[in-house]
Amino acid sequence: MTNTKDTTARSLKALHETAAKVGKPLSFMEVCGTHTMSVFRSGLRSLLPENVTLLSGPGCPVCVTAQSDIDMLIELACDRYVTICTYGDMLRVPGARGSLERARGDGADVRVVYSSMDAVDIAQQEPQKQIVFAAVGFETTAPATAAAVDRAVKLKLTNFAVLASHKLVMPAVTALLEGGGVKVDGFLLPGHVSVITGWRAFVSIPGKYGLPCVVGGFEDEQIVVALADLVSMVHKSKPSLINQYPQAVSEEGNTVARALLTKIFEPCDVPWRGLGVIPLSGLALRPAYKAFDAQRKFHLTRPPDREPKGCRCGEVITGAVTPPQCVLFDNGCTPTHPIGPCMVSGEGTCQAWFKYHRVRVPNKHRAHADSTAEYEVTA
Amino acid sequence: MCLAVPAKLVDCGDGQGVADLHGNRVPVQTLFAPEAVVGDWVLVHAGFVIKRLDPGEAEATWAVLGDLARCAEGTDHDQY
Ligand code: SF4
Repeated sequence: MTNTKDTTARSLKALHETAAKVGKPLSFMEVCGTHTMSVFRSGLRSLLPENVTLLSGPGCPVCVTAQSDIDMLIELACDRYVTICTYGDMLRVPGARGSLERARGDGADVRVVYSSMDAVDIAQQEPQKQIVFAAVGFETTAPATAAAVDRAVKLKLTNFAVLASHKLVMPAVTALLEGGGVKVDGFLLPGHVSVITGWRAFVSIPGKYGLPCVVGGFEDEQIVVALADLVSMVHKSKPSLINQYPQAVSEEGNTVARALLTKIFEPCDVPWRGLGVIPLSGLALRPAYKAFDAQRKFHLTRPPDREPKGCRCGEVITGAVTPPQCVLFDNGCTPTHPIGPCMVSGEGTCQAWFKYHRVRVPNKHRAHADSTAEYEVTA
Repeated sequence: MCLAVPAKLVDCGDGQGVADLHGNRVPVQTLFAPEAVVGDWVLVHAGFVIKRLDPGEAEATWAVLGDLARCAEGTDHDQY
C-alpha cells in the first residue's frame, strides 16, 4: 500500500516548486461544498504556497437556494393540510418569515427525510395529507427527485408534489465566467456532481475559456495532486481537463440517472442566491409531470427575492469576498444563530471559516451589527 | 450535500437494496446502478447508489468521506 503521507508530501513539494516558477498570484475556485469543508478540515489551506489562493464557488446547494424558494416552502408549511419533507440541511435556512425549523416549532408539519423516496412513502401512508418534497441539490441529488416523481406516477399518487429548486453547476460556472466579475486561474471541479454528469460536461471550460480544470477527490492527497496539476497547466500554458478521481468519475457519468432526470425534468431559468436568474440553470418538471409541481398545484407566486440585510452570501459564493469581510460574521451570524445560508450548511463557506479559520476579533474592534436580521429586496 | 459515501451492498434486488454504512444497515435504491450486486462497494448519496466502485479504491476513500459526512451532519461534536 502506498504511504499516503509521503505521496501528499511529495505532491505538496511539487505544488510549491511549480507555483514558485509561475511566480504570480494564482486563484483557483472549488465548486463543491465538500471540497471547501475538506480543505478547511484538513488544515491544507495553511500549507498552500503563498501565491496560491483557493476560492469557494457556488458549490453548496443550500447556500445558492434563492430566498424566494425558502419563503414558498414556509408559506406551504403554514397550510395545515400540507406536510413538508426536506433534507436536514434546509431546516435552518432563514427565510423572510423565519425558517422551516421555526415553522415546525409553531406547529407546521415539517419532516426531515433521508431520501426523496421517504417522502413518497409518507404520501402513500398518509393519503389525507398533501406531501411536498423540498427538492434541492445539484446534479448529484436531482436524479433522486426524478426517481421519486417517477414512483409517484406509478403509484398514481395525487397527494405528492415537489417544489423543485434544483440547480445545474455548469450554467453557474458559465455565468461566473461570462460575467467577468470573478478572476480565477482554474477550477477544482466537483467530484460527486461529476459522478452523474461525467467529466465531459466541463470540457468547455478549458476549450472555450482557456482555464485548466481538475476533477478531484476529497482526500488531502487527491486535493494536493489536483492543485499541483492546475498550477502545472498554468505554468505550461496548456489548459486542459484532468480527471484525478477516476475511481468514481467517468467521461460519460451515470447515464441511467441522467436518462431518468431528462425524462422527468427539463432545464429552465432559475434564480440563484446572489447571482440572480441564470438561464437554463435549473430544472422544471416536463409538461407531462406538471401535476407534481407544488408551485402550480398550490398556486404559489414566487415572492421577491430578499437577502438578510448586511449578509454577503451572494459575494461569498462567487468568491468575491471571504466571510470575515462580512460585518455579521461571528458578530451576530454564527452556526447556532445563522443569518445567511452560508452559515447554516455544513458545506457553507461561512460555516467552514467559522469552524476552522476563525480569528477572534474583540467586539470593540468590530462594526456593530444587530443580531436580528432585517431583509432588503434584491430582485 | 453532494457528499456521497462508500458503503457495502449487503442486499439488493428489484431496484432496491440494503447497504452497510459505518456498521448501520440503511435502505438504498439501486436503480441508478443496475450492475451492482451484493458484496459490491458502492457510492451512496441521499439514499441512492450512484456508482459501483472498485473494491480497493472504496476502502481507501472510506475514512475521509465518512469523516466528512459526519462533519456535514454536525455529528462530529465541533464546538461553536
Ligand atoms: S457571515 Fe452570515 S451574514 Fe455574513 S455572508 Fe456569511 S452567512 Fe451571510
